[in-house]
Amino acid sequence: MLLVLAGALSACGGASGLGAAGRFTPRTPYTLTVATAQVPDPGFWEGTVAHPTGGFEYGLARALASRFGLSRVAVVEVPFKQLTAGNLRGADLALSDITVTKQRAEHVDFSESYLDAPPAILVRPGTEVPDVHAAQALSWAVQDGTTLQEALAEAIEPAAPAQVLEHQREVLLALRVGRARAVMLDLPVALAYAREAPRTYAVAAQLPSEAVLAAALPKGSENLEALDSAIRAFKADGTIERLGQEWLHTDLQDGRDEEVPALRTDE
Amino acid sequence: MTAFAALAPPALHAPAMAALVDISSPKGAPWEFLILFATLLLGPVLFKRAGVPGIIGLLLGGYVIGPHGLNLIGSGNATLPDLGQLGLLYLMFVAGVELDLNLLRVHRRSTVAFGLLTFALPMTLGTIVGLALGWETEAALLLGSLLASHTLITYPTVREAGLASDPAVATAVGSTVLTDTLALIVLAGVAGSVGGGRSGVEVAVQIAVGLIVLIAFSLLVLPRLAALAFRLLGAERSVRYIVAITAFLSAATVAELFGIEGIVGAFFAGLALNRLVPNEGQLMDRIEFFGGAVFIPVFLVSVGLILNHAVMVQGQTLELAGLFILACLGGKALAALLSGRLLGFSRPQATLLFSLSSAQAAATLAATVIGFQLGLFDSSVVNAVLVVILVSVLASTFTAIRASARMPAHDHGPRPLGRRVVVGIGDPELAQGALTTALGLARADGGVVRPVLVVPESAPFAPHAARERLARIAAAIGVDTLPTTIVDRSVMHGALRAAAAEEATLVLVSEPPHEQDGVAVHEHPRHDHATAHEHPRQDRATAHEHPRQDGAAARVASGPKPHAGHPHTPPADTPHTPPVGIVRGRETLWVDAPQDSCYSR
Repeated sequence: MLLVLAGALSACGGASGLGAAGRFTPRTPYTLTVATAQVPDPGFWEGTVAHPTGGFEYGLARALASRFGLSRVAVVEVPFKQLTAGNLRGADLALSDITVTKQRAEHVDFSESYLDAPPAILVRPGTEVPDVHAAQALSWAVQDGTTLQEALAEAIEPAAPAQVLEHQREVLLALRVGRARAVMLDLPVALAYAREAPRTYAVAAQLPSEAVLAAALPKGSENLEALDSAIRAFKADGTIERLGQEWLHTDLQDGRDEEVPALRTDE
Repeated sequence: MTAFAALAPPALHAPAMAALVDISSPKGAPWEFLILFATLLLGPVLFKRAGVPGIIGLLLGGYVIGPHGLNLIGSGNATLPDLGQLGLLYLMFVAGVELDLNLLRVHRRSTVAFGLLTFALPMTLGTIVGLALGWETEAALLLGSLLASHTLITYPTVREAGLASDPAVATAVGSTVLTDTLALIVLAGVAGSVGGGRSGVEVAVQIAVGLIVLIAFSLLVLPRLAALAFRLLGAERSVRYIVAITAFLSAATVAELFGIEGIVGAFFAGLALNRLVPNEGQLMDRIEFFGGAVFIPVFLVSVGLILNHAVMVQGQTLELAGLFILACLGGKALAALLSGRLLGFSRPQATLLFSLSSAQAAATLAATVIGFQLGLFDSSVVNAVLVVILVSVLASTFTAIRASARMPAHDHGPRPLGRRVVVGIGDPELAQGALTTALGLARADGGVVRPVLVVPESAPFAPHAARERLARIAAAIGVDTLPTTIVDRSVMHGALRAAAAEEATLVLVSEPPHEQDGVAVHEHPRHDHATAHEHPRQDRATAHEHPRQDGAAARVASGPKPHAGHPHTPPADTPHTPPVGIVRGRETLWVDAPQDSCYSR
């Protein structure tokens, strides 16, 4: 029996050495190259592109590099619309608050999700959004090419057309200077901003949604299996939860924050 | 264009229709549940018609509706995986609760010998394969353990062939307890050692303490709590069912408190409630109904979502599958062969050992899914294991049919005395003693008690209140069957008629003394093939001689009593009278069936 097995094993060259959880092959030896849209991105990327110092997604990148046996993490900055269009500028993967959608999946491969990210309404402190009617009456700003733009149009239907801006930092600037009274962000991102600047921002509500954040890989990447296995392992061993508590300061057991009220949108 | 617009008359073109009726593409929870339940309905039906086990239909159905098929249920869907998780726990609970522990006890030596061999050989071979492929030790061990377990998929085939009582079949069935328990212990160890950065000693201590607490909770606390809940909460069907669900979820929770996978707790909960939930009882019927109709199929469909044709047909996946099949079926075959020789089984019996122990399904799938969730396995391993499941199910089914055909018929092998106890009751207020005696015998043999309220022909037919009262009394004692009603000339005749219909292994009658006319009393239960006139005691004590007045009753109480595991062997062609006892308080009088009962025809 053992002889038969040994013969079969030697004949199965293709399956050997791959590892049960898949093998990750970086484009640059010993380096995990990660694309992201903006650094810093409070809570997700701290520091600069050349010298990132922390953040949830940076921590995730480091954990991935460690699991794959890679000694360093390199970061490249790529506009968000290019990332979701499949242009990662030579990076192995993108970690940039990217929500999984069918349209985007035509251009990139998505990994297992690592955070639930329902849309959330970020306002200046003191602005109340008790229901969808109050939300409709506000002036809005939202980033172009994001799922948030769609969520705003479908779930809120603002009375006045929303300002559609190219970068997230422009959206936040509009809120800070009063050109918009509310902006739509992913809940973990909104919570991170509100925690960093509580006198400037407050999270008024979250929308019911099954939106999730995931890593994006170039279409057809052979690293997908290994990345999926890694993210599942990080969920199982508590790495994701630990990073969430460290950088997003919220209990992300199921990716949602129970303290942020849910806005009913089906009235 | 929507289907509605397409059916519109030519005069109404699409924009006009759109203005009148707003029809969007189906989405949301109702649509996804519709897709799911349509898959549960059609998957098994279509495949069973083609002679393929329904489990394959459900797995492939999951693939068809999943992200790698028609994408009707996308990868972001959280509801189906959550339901699947509950189904996984349910599956392992059912695996534990429906095992026949009586067989493990009766065939202890052969069960332990075969159980250890059929676990150790595939475990060793599977681990060797994993290590040779360059896998991490944890992944290799998990592979070995998942190939070492087995599921009794072919048992119904073997049972229908009249071979349930064959020693080889009993050995294979009993060994399932051992293999699945050992496989789940390996899983607990592997899962505990993944991540966390703890030393091997810390992990070992954690798992050992966890298992001790879990086993103590499952085997000592849980049955008592469940029995108490059954007694206090009564015979309400839904309440009893919820108690069972709560029991396995609580054991799963206790397991997870110690970092042990919940399925280990669910399996132990099943073993713990095994005696309280007889296989022929109503609660088991309910557990199997909901499990078979919804929970377990949902789990199988959720596994099918992982199936990826692009991955499955890759050379790498097929190579993995080939190696797994070799390790699994090779190890199982070797174990069956060695055990056959060691235990003196014939060749067809050894083939039956193989066919019953080679099918991979429940525990294999559970461990594979856990390995996937832990990031130990990628989808190529999962897809390869699904190929193993398909091949092993087909191989075991094929060999079971062939081996069964070569075996001599064992249509009616000895059945334990307590397997099916019919209790005839005339007055519910007198039922407690008979039901308690019956329950003690039934539990010891993994059997079931069937209370029968007998309404005399001469009495006014108003059994509803009496049946309700009897149901409450039976439930309070712990009987897991609702009483039935029968009209007959006496409680004895009614009980025997019900016993004949139920193929009872034992009949107990609870009735006042004056109703014993026409029965012969003796000192121990008749379980041989002797006819009434051949019985030596018939001449000495018959009912018309008033046995309870001549001292026979006193001797009966101190005479040999029926005991659990006592074989009852009815002949194949005639209804054979099971032992019949009249229970009065703590005394049991063993009697012959009346000459004019249904058994005397």
